[in-house]
Amino acid sequence: MTADTIAARRARPLRRLPFGTRVLFTPVAIAVVLVALYAWVSTLELDSIEQRSLNRAVIVAKTIEHLEMTLAATALVVVIAIPLGVAASRATNRLIAPVILTVGNLGQAVPCIGLLVLCTFLMGVGFQTALVGLVAYAVLPVLRNTMVGVQQVDPALIEAARGMGMTRGQILRRVELKLAVPAILAGLRTALVLTVGVATLGAFVAAGGFGELIINGLKLNRMPVTIVGGVLTACIAFFIDWLGGLAEDLLKPRGM
Amino acid sequence: MFDRDTEGVRIELRSLTKRYPGQTAPAVDNVSMDIPAGELVVFVGPSGCGKTTTMKMINRLVEPTSGEIRIGGRDVLSLNPDELRRHIGYAIQQVGLFPHLTVAQNIGLVPKLLGWSQEKIAARVEELLTLVHLEPGAFTDRYPRQLSGGQQQRVGVARALAADPPVMLMDEPFGATDPITREHLQNEFVRLQKQLRKTIIFVTHDFEEAIKLGDRIAVLREGSHIAQYDTPAAILSDPADDYVAGFIGQDATLKRLALLQVADVPVTEPLPDPVLPQVAPDASLREALDLMLAHGTDRCSTPSGVLTYATLCEAVGNRPDGTRPEEAVAGDR
Amino acid sequence: MSFSEYVISRWDTLSLAAAEHAMVVAVAIAIATVIGVGVGVLTHGVPRAREASIAVSAAILTIPSLALLTLLIPLTGLGWGSTLLGLTAYAFLPIIRNTVTGLRGLDAATVEAGRGMGLSRPRLLLRVQLPLAWPLILTGIRISTQMLIGIAAIAAFVDGPGLGNQIFEGLSRLGSVNSLNATLAGTLGIVIIAILFDVFFYVVRHLTTPRGLRVRP
Repeated sequence: MTADTIAARRARPLRRLPFGTRVLFTPVAIAVVLVALYAWVSTLELDSIEQRSLNRAVIVAKTIEHLEMTLAATALVVVIAIPLGVAASRATNRLIAPVILTVGNLGQAVPCIGLLVLCTFLMGVGFQTALVGLVAYAVLPVLRNTMVGVQQVDPALIEAARGMGMTRGQILRRVELKLAVPAILAGLRTALVLTVGVATLGAFVAAGGFGELIINGLKLNRMPVTIVGGVLTACIAFFIDWLGGLAEDLLKPRGM
Repeated sequence: MFDRDTEGVRIELRSLTKRYPGQTAPAVDNVSMDIPAGELVVFVGPSGCGKTTTMKMINRLVEPTSGEIRIGGRDVLSLNPDELRRHIGYAIQQVGLFPHLTVAQNIGLVPKLLGWSQEKIAARVEELLTLVHLEPGAFTDRYPRQLSGGQQQRVGVARALAADPPVMLMDEPFGATDPITREHLQNEFVRLQKQLRKTIIFVTHDFEEAIKLGDRIAVLREGSHIAQYDTPAAILSDPADDYVAGFIGQDATLKRLALLQVADVPVTEPLPDPVLPQVAPDASLREALDLMLAHGTDRCSTPSGVLTYATLCEAVGNRPDGTRPEEAVAGDR
Repeated sequence: MSFSEYVISRWDTLSLAAAEHAMVVAVAIAIATVIGVGVGVLTHGVPRAREASIAVSAAILTIPSLALLTLLIPLTGLGWGSTLLGLTAYAFLPIIRNTVTGLRGLDAATVEAGRGMGLSRPRLLLRVQLPLAWPLILTGIRISTQMLIGIAAIAAFVDGPGLGNQIFEGLSRLGSVNSLNATLAGTLGIVIIAILFDVFFYVVRHLTTPRGLRVRP
């Protein structure tokens, strides 16, 4: 999956179902799939190789690794991309914005697996390498959404704020950033889901995660292991997207 | 800031000029003008004539290239611009209410910047909502997007009044509303200003609005040059040149009648006549004339007597036979 | 061996891989365009169907590509089959969404004028609605293409075709002489393909946008 999915997922024009139904649909569906997966695996007679992968300790460990990678990368992206996005949106930096957009569009064409492997040549394999790759990949959507979100604030509001005697800092903090929150959150949600996906590739550079199950299953020709890894990855992606949607609804300033 | 008097203070503009880089003609060219304390002065002129730029230099949203601005005797250009703006009310056509803040938070923003206490702000918000005819209980916690256009404009005016500034700048504040709402807002605003006596600069391209609201009107042409600066009645009865006359249109006399109320002119008989069409004392003379024409008569009755066509003619300085009287009734309000 | 020596010595392999990469993406996009535009045309006027088709295609996009591609193996086996199916599935959302947005965004007066002139529904669609919505639909196709070019690199892991094989070769021989060269060749090759496709779409957009939409007022 590439960063292009930003554009794809951002303006998902889903009509909101009644709150309860909508909020519960995704977790219930995930639960059903997980139960079905468990039931299916229980019916299989696992050989020793499969047992080595498909046991509680390994699954828990892989879940933690996957989430660690995703959350650490997202936290770093927040710290890096939002301030940069705000800086890029300032009027004095007019020239920077198009440059960022162009580099951003070109950067999307770099395949994430290529980026990860290239990182290994610089830093060797491991968690940190995967983290660098993930951050490099997810920074752009958040940076771009922050920049665009701040720039899209209605100029009449800025003029009203200036006319009322707010200082530039106050306008940025109390008006521009607040109004950019929906766009920033949408970018973050996209980045999160993107990161969950790219984190599966972390297994290629020995950073663990669900990708390891997928890869090992394929290498050792043990399809159940691959399927468990694939389904778990998909479930965690849907779950994170669902959490992101909830967070968007809760954190969005009221009145908007 | 300006000798704390919440009633209006005098504004003086001296040789005010704004030149934008890369443009040959200045946008505002050497404008000098005195705006008396407590008066509402309307800047009226075609779009692009520099009226808004002139206004925005007063709260320094636009920095003057040269010239001098004094508010209540203080030199505006020597003050901190942000601090200055907190003491000048500002209302614009797009209203610019912050969608993420409630009505109360929007109105309370400037008082908060000025460090008022919570209680004082809450009391002020309630007072202002009542003043602009919005029920405080129903509106304080609403968000701007839950309001109609007219309600937003009222909140905009309340917000501009929040810190009780002696001076207000208004840039077509009723421009974006439909004609019926606009008329309603204008009437309320006239009533409000009678009560508050702020010094107000009001920008519009609508001459009708200028006549209706202005104590004085400055008709501006290209470069914000003042074509005429006088009371509405004086401009209507004696336009300075063809440019001003063109702005007024063909029905200057009717417009002058619209400025006068029935109660402003003498009645011819001391008692009302129930047979004649009835006109209210706060109706305009234009409405009285309309009533006469509609009934095919030259008389109508007010609660205190009878109003005749001849009186209307005298009110605008003519006799019904076409000759001019020695002294016209002052067309001033 | 320097990078340029590597590229020259493996030119045949590399160019074949690049051609396959472009081919698999192009075929997937062609299929997704036919289906996606069709679904968009059929559902744009029916709110429930429209939302369902967009929700489903958005859900597909949420599934990480490595997971989707490997989960397809039991169905379509290793190689071209899974690669094509997976890529096609990922391409739907931008195409369907832009088709729907484009058709719905048309000036109601234009459509009504067409109806008023007696154009039948299919004729109206073919002569008025689709040509006017085309620039937006094409943008959707372009976004999908850029996305697929990147995802196709991962398809090499399920024995799919393309430049991803270079990257995985580099990965599997970490430390050997040519591992960096292979990875770099694969990655840069994919970037170049992406740029070429973008140029292609720029030209197509210029050639296929109705003239009346291109002229400036």
